Amino acid sequence: MSGVASYMAKRAAQKERVRTLYRRALKDTLNWAVHRHLFYPDADALRERFDANKHVDDIDTIDRMIADGEAQYNKWRHPDPYIVPWAPGGSKFTRNPTPPSGIEIVFDYGREDQN
Amino acid sequence: MASALRAAILGHLRVPVVANGSKLLTPLWINRSTAVRSMSSHDDHLEKSQVIDRILDIVKSFPKVDPSKVTPEVHFQKDLGLDSLDNVELIMAIEEEFKLEIPDKEADKIDSCALAIEYVYNHPMAS
Repeated sequence: MSGVASYMAKRAAQKERVRTLYRRALKDTLNWAVHRHLFYPDADALRERFDANKHVDDIDTIDRMIADGEAQYNKWRHPDPYIVPWAPGGSKFTRNPTPPSGIEIVFDYGREDQN
Repeated sequence: MASALRAAILGHLRVPVVANGSKLLTPLWINRSTAVRSMSSHDDHLEKSQVIDRILDIVKSFPKVDPSKVTPEVHFQKDLGLDSLDNVELIMAIEEEFKLEIPDKEADKIDSCALAIEYVYNHPMAS
């Protein structure tokens, strides 16, 4: 019974790794192919590469494939990926940060009673 | 040295002396209503209905989805028959629509329309 449980746990961990790898690879595809008409065929090709090994059952084989995929992803990672401007590493990160709530400009400070 | 500098600076300073607080010193465009102004640079929070509409549009336009089945509570994999990689693609589409950057761990947890709507609606940078 514990064998089954550990098998399921390993499979769940592997599925999560594959999802994360696919997500990163898909984003990286968009970094390399900045136009939509270039991106769509590349994304389809990526999806086909993942779908080709959809039915592999053996845990060790899957582990090897995931490691191989992650190595390829790291090898072809874009050196200057797109980052949403406000996110860490983005061009607007910590520029003009929103002040804490409750902080305001009072233009007539000290003269409120004079006008 | 310092005192000479101080004298030189003081000699050139002209401070307007106004006996009774003159209106001229305050810019005319400031009146009572705008004297206190919020400095926040990102005030445009999305309406909930807007978020729901836009997310449903994304899900409906996904090629493998039957648009008639899409509701705000629908689960991507259980109800729409998508697989986990389709789920990843949907979340990426939502990220692009709302100009978000969702961390991998959090994006992995979003598996239904309800969760996506809640996440985007509560995100401070969604636009």
